[in-house]
Amino acid sequence: MWRAGVTMLGPQFSYGIKEDLQISISAPFHVDHGEHPTGRFTAMMPGDPQVEGLLAWRFYHVSTGIGSRNEATFYFGASALTQHVPRADGLPLGRQPGLYGALAAGHVSRRYDVWVGAGYQHYARWTSSVDDHQSDSLLSSFVVGWRPPFLNKDYPKPDLRFFWETTAEKVGLAQRDVAPPGSSGGHDHGAPPPPPDASGIVVLPNSGGTGVFSGPTFLCTYRSVAFQGGMLFPLLDQPNGTQKHERFRAAASVTFYFLGRHK
Amino acid sequence: MTLFGVSVLRGAALVGLLLAVEPLHAEYLRIKLRVYGLDCQLCARGVSATIQRMPGVKSVEVSLKTGLLEIVLVRGNTFKMSDLRKRIRENGFRSMEATVTAVGEFSGAKFEVSGSGESYSIGNPDPNAPAPLELTFDVR
Repeated sequence: MWRAGVTMLGPQFSYGIKEDLQISISAPFHVDHGEHPTGRFTAMMPGDPQVEGLLAWRFYHVSTGIGSRNEATFYFGASALTQHVPRADGLPLGRQPGLYGALAAGHVSRRYDVWVGAGYQHYARWTSSVDDHQSDSLLSSFVVGWRPPFLNKDYPKPDLRFFWETTAEKVGLAQRDVAPPGSSGGHDHGAPPPPPDASGIVVLPNSGGTGVFSGPTFLCTYRSVAFQGGMLFPLLDQPNGTQKHERFRAAASVTFYFLGRHK
Repeated sequence: MTLFGVSVLRGAALVGLLLAVEPLHAEYLRIKLRVYGLDCQLCARGVSATIQRMPGVKSVEVSLKTGLLEIVLVRGNTFKMSDLRKRIRENGFRSMEATVTAVGEFSGAKFEVSGSGESYSIGNPDPNAPAPLELTFDVR
């Protein structure tokens, strides 16, 4: 996964408990370092370096015809940051646990797919010594998929389809605890902060923002392996402060499905 | 009665008992089942793997274009259509109409598939048909 100045790897393990209930553990981490834009990568993959347990409950599911179905899934995740996220305006913020909830619904068929989704990532303040707060984020996405007729091959031939994804996000302001060392909280850092409020919390102006990203992606499956990838480009990129603009986002993944033996 | 005679009687009783508890075999031979919701290669592979693990299944072929599963079963299997439909449902798909070839016999107006406990109303039975009988019929 690539974003402005940051490369990440994101291993994920998923297990289908029942046909409509799946649990996933993902642990994306930084490969290099740079100021990290906050916000999720996808509905199922956090954008920050963290370990996340995600429960997906497909609460609505109707097979409507040959090769077509409608479904809706609710996601609930809990996470803990594993690496400090670098910041240009001072030391990294303290790590806190996060909660994530999302809803996605769509229609799939042999010709086309349509998906819509929205989610919210919240970071809690659980540490007693440092009361920093990572940016919360609101995410929504709209995906249209298409399988060209000449690629509409039958099983067990490889299956390739293309998507156009658009994602919009609003990332909130982060907060830093600058209460003096020795008091109830805070950590000492070099950068002169904006004036704190009475509790020693400073809202960081160079954090968060609003963005809309759009671009092509693909999904190819063959036997028990799926290859996915794509690039999204900014249609709107308005950071709240002076953070770096994102020129693109890109992701590539390989997934292996354990489907059991075949005769 | 001699000791030998008692042993023979005991042996015969044991064989009779064993025969009495031997499970009856179902005689589904071929099933062509329409399944809704199979949209991708992985869906087909997952369903195919699940069905191939069911006892008595010799081969499975899946078509995404027609949504058809074609299942061939070995003779003397213990296969049940209700189990098949359950497995399809557990994979997240919807089983629809089927064309079934099975061995069984008529019981009144219903065709009972040998040993499966499953029966189907398939129209007017032939009173002179020999039993057991191999039939191909549609199931809704």
